[in-house]
Amino acid sequence: MATSIRERTIAENSMVVLLQGLQGEVTTVDLRNESTARGRVVSVDAFMNIRLADVLYQDRRGQLTRLQDLFVTGRNVRYVHIPDHVDIMKTIQNQLSKIHRVRNFEAGAEGSDSLHSAANNMTEKQPAG
Amino acid sequence: MVLLKNLHPPTEGVRHEQAETTAVMDGQRLGCGTLYVAETRLLWFDGSGLGFSLEYPTIGLHAISRDVSAYPQEHLYVMVNGKLSDENEAEMAEKAADDEDEGGSSSDDGDDDDDDEGTITEIRFVPSDKASLESMFSAMCECQALHPDPEDDDSDNDFEGEEYDVEEAAAEHGHGDIPTFYTCDEGLSALTQEGQATLERLEGMLAQSVAQQYHMAGVRTEETKADFEDGMEVDAAAMEAGQFEDADVEH
Repeated sequence: MATSIRERTIAENSMVVLLQGLQGEVTTVDLRNESTARGRVVSVDAFMNIRLADVLYQDRRGQLTRLQDLFVTGRNVRYVHIPDHVDIMKTIQNQLSKIHRVRNFEAGAEGSDSLHSAANNMTEKQPAG
Repeated sequence: MVLLKNLHPPTEGVRHEQAETTAVMDGQRLGCGTLYVAETRLLWFDGSGLGFSLEYPTIGLHAISRDVSAYPQEHLYVMVNGKLSDENEAEMAEKAADDEDEGGSSSDDGDDDDDDEGTITEIRFVPSDKASLESMFSAMCECQALHPDPEDDDSDNDFEGEEYDVEEAAAEHGHGDIPTFYTCDEGLSALTQEGQATLERLEGMLAQSVAQQYHMAGVRTEETKADFEDGMEVDAAAMEAGQFEDADVEH
């Protein structure tokens, strides 16, 4: 999912990176209005807007509904359940390195911004023949 | 959310337009009309121009429902935080019988209050073309993302402009942002002429303030030392200017 510079900066400075790393996982989102939605995470943006697919939605009264696609605004999210099998630290690290790779890729044309990112490029890429 | 008359189609920023779409609000069928998913707001109105618009920040979630056992028709479900404007709802004459309003209370800007109570409005947009549901849904996702929560106090999202690169920032500013503290002797030699003058001025002020310790907040009082029985008595005679000059800095 294409992200803006602002969104990447917001994401890497907040815990939302963890949620972004849940892409593809099936989990439950508790909404502020006491309802819950359980489904596969399609995407999470920097504002914690969450898109789920193949959702089982339970409203406050306990009534169950199946929804094909669901988009809930960040403001309406109370909790996101992290599946037990998810390694939280690893997920966060993976997400952060993805962000840095994107950033270095975009900055690459003008040369790296810092020694650090240059060092990253050297370790991550195979030296040309 | 407001029910309006004489609505006209938005001219700009329409991500999706869906004709022959029935709107059902809290179980009330409002009629068949056209849904406009515009970047500024969501609009629906019927052939006679009667309709309503929704502001994206008021929309809590939206979803595609294809479960006909739950609701007989495939539709786009939209959950709005808060209740609609009651006085306009009364204009939809036939619905008067089901009116649950508390008379004239406008809930348009009462989003926060309604949020706490959990009041919501459920709207279903039922298009005649069921295949268009994905496009309607995606268009709403895109527009929703254009309206991040303005009242989000929890997140510190003040990252404007260039990406914040820690190393870059350090390289640019050196460590100028962090003041450097000197201790005693080495500090004195590091003082510029200006700094020296400032130091002398401050020390003079300190000495003066000790002498005037019973003049609180610039107001002269006639009370003697004995009246200040807060256990913080200081023997003024022991004070002298420059008393702290040779103090050891022990950290």
